Amino acid sequence: MDAKTDAKTGSKANAESIVSLTAVNKTFHRGKEPIQVLDRLDLEVPSGSFEALMGPSGSGKSTLLNLIAGLDRPTSGTVRVAGADVGRMTDGQLAEWRSQTIGFVFQSFNLIPVLTAAQNVELPLLLTSLGGAERKKRVAIALRVVGLEDRMHHFPRQLSGGQEQRVAIARAIVNDPKIIVADEPTGDLDRKSADDVLNLLERLNKEFDKTIFMVTHDPAAAERATVQRKLDKGALV
Amino acid sequence: MNLATYARRNMFRRRGRTILTVLAVAVAVLIFATIRTTLAMWNAGVDEAASDRLATRHKISITMLLPKRYMDEVRATPGIAASTWASWFGAKDPLKRTPFFAGFAADHETWFSVMTEMKVEPAVLEEWKRTPNGAILGDILARTLQVKPGDRLVIQSDIFPGDWEFKVVGLYTPLKRTVDRNSMVFRWDYLNNDPRAEFFKDKIGWVMSRIDDPKASARLSREIDKKFDERDDQTITMSERAFSLSFMGAFSALLFVFFVVSIAILLIMTLILANTIAMSVRERTHEYGVLRAVGFKPGHIVGFIVGESVLISIVGGVVGVGLTLLFVNGLMGPAVEGMGMFPAFRAPSSVLLFAFALAAGLGMVAGIIPAIRASSLKVTDALRRID
Repeated sequence: MDAKTDAKTGSKANAESIVSLTAVNKTFHRGKEPIQVLDRLDLEVPSGSFEALMGPSGSGKSTLLNLIAGLDRPTSGTVRVAGADVGRMTDGQLAEWRSQTIGFVFQSFNLIPVLTAAQNVELPLLLTSLGGAERKKRVAIALRVVGLEDRMHHFPRQLSGGQEQRVAIARAIVNDPKIIVADEPTGDLDRKSADDVLNLLERLNKEFDKTIFMVTHDPAAAERATVQRKLDKGALV
Repeated sequence: MNLATYARRNMFRRRGRTILTVLAVAVAVLIFATIRTTLAMWNAGVDEAASDRLATRHKISITMLLPKRYMDEVRATPGIAASTWASWFGAKDPLKRTPFFAGFAADHETWFSVMTEMKVEPAVLEEWKRTPNGAILGDILARTLQVKPGDRLVIQSDIFPGDWEFKVVGLYTPLKRTVDRNSMVFRWDYLNNDPRAEFFKDKIGWVMSRIDDPKASARLSREIDKKFDERDDQTITMSERAFSLSFMGAFSALLFVFFVVSIAILLIMTLILANTIAMSVRERTHEYGVLRAVGFKPGHIVGFIVGESVLISIVGGVVGVGLTLLFVNGLMGPAVEGMGMFPAFRAPSSVLLFAFALAAGLGMVAGIIPAIRASSLKVTDALRRID
């Protein structure tokens, strides 16, 4: 855990952790050979924090992010996120839980090329019972938050990389999730666009009280987080 | 926007590939519908056979003849309203303007009163009765042979030697689409009195009887045949439908081949479509991973993929039905009818609907395996997949 916030976040973690990992192991198999990616890992992430996770390639960053986001289950140990025991949920329950709890921001934006910015943002809302008018309203709000209200009818190919990532952030927040997980959100961007995206994440954390868990290789990006963690060989150091 | 928007937009992602696939489906539907139309038209005579008519022929084969005197005994059977007879002539055009046409000698007093779907004007009928070598033609045959009422017509026969000269007394009008407009009827007594037909003297090919009650068809058939059970020439009597079917038995192998080819065409269409969908799915595996990550369930992914496959096949089906209407009904049908190969050759709506429904159904089948594969991938594996 980062020294500059050690005392503060430590006390918060004990009080109201939104993410709580206890003795988590994650093992993959390459053929018959087991590969231990996470080794009895414990982690507490306080609600409302902005955390950056760094580490060399193969250290288990993405695996840890996938566990927190409910995309994968631990081999052993407990992963509790926003009150839910992720390891015990069925695939269907996980999908529904993700749509309500987690907002995803990927390195390569991952927008659907055949849908406009507004339609991309609207996608997660199609899984809700909201009517068309209410969905449009929420899409407009999300795009306004990321400053792209005037680009709502543009297709991804008509947007710059930075704009695409901001649309992806709008898609991540449109369902008003408790946590935003970001996997190298600035990895494919130039410095200026990366700063814009980081400013936006900071704003979402401070103004909208979103918990942000970000995996990054970029020290400048990690600097923007309130907590910096480092993972090496499956363990937090 | 709704969930179908995504499937619809995906369809045009690879425009060239989609257009080629739609065309492949359309051509498959066209070929399938054409083959099925051929089968349907072949069977049309059977399907539209009169339910109140019986046909009596020699028990051994239609090629064997019955004594003409049997007519009186058939007519005397209670329940028989009217009977007539005819003999096959094996007509052919010496100038070879048509490869084949039906020509038969029929009783001029009773033929048109039993075969009521061939309508002739009273004046024509009277003229026929007055003219021993009178012949009545279908309009297509008259056009092909370039004759009109009053003209002299010379034809030959596969059975009887020499030239046979007729006077065209008129044309018959078909009252059903299945009536052959490429045939010729002339007087049986003209054939019977000719020395070249000495071997056939007082013999007839088959008897057609109209009955009072169609429900009594089976019983009357048995009663007629029973009358001749002890004779040298025994009969077999059947409904007109069965009579038509017995002619088609000779072509059953060919019809079966047509049927098999039509099924093979559909299988090929399904494989082409499945290949296209599999390629698309492979290219979009990462994207499906993203959708799963944001909360879409495996069932949604199946829906997107199968929906796209069905959409392509529906569009292909619509284009195929359009091509069928244009090609079969607009071009091929009139040509085939004009040549007299079929009395009617139009794609029935049942065939068009069947072809369209099959295309849509097979579109669903083609999409199912790629859909199940894509939806059963782990989200993390799908997100890692970059093609």
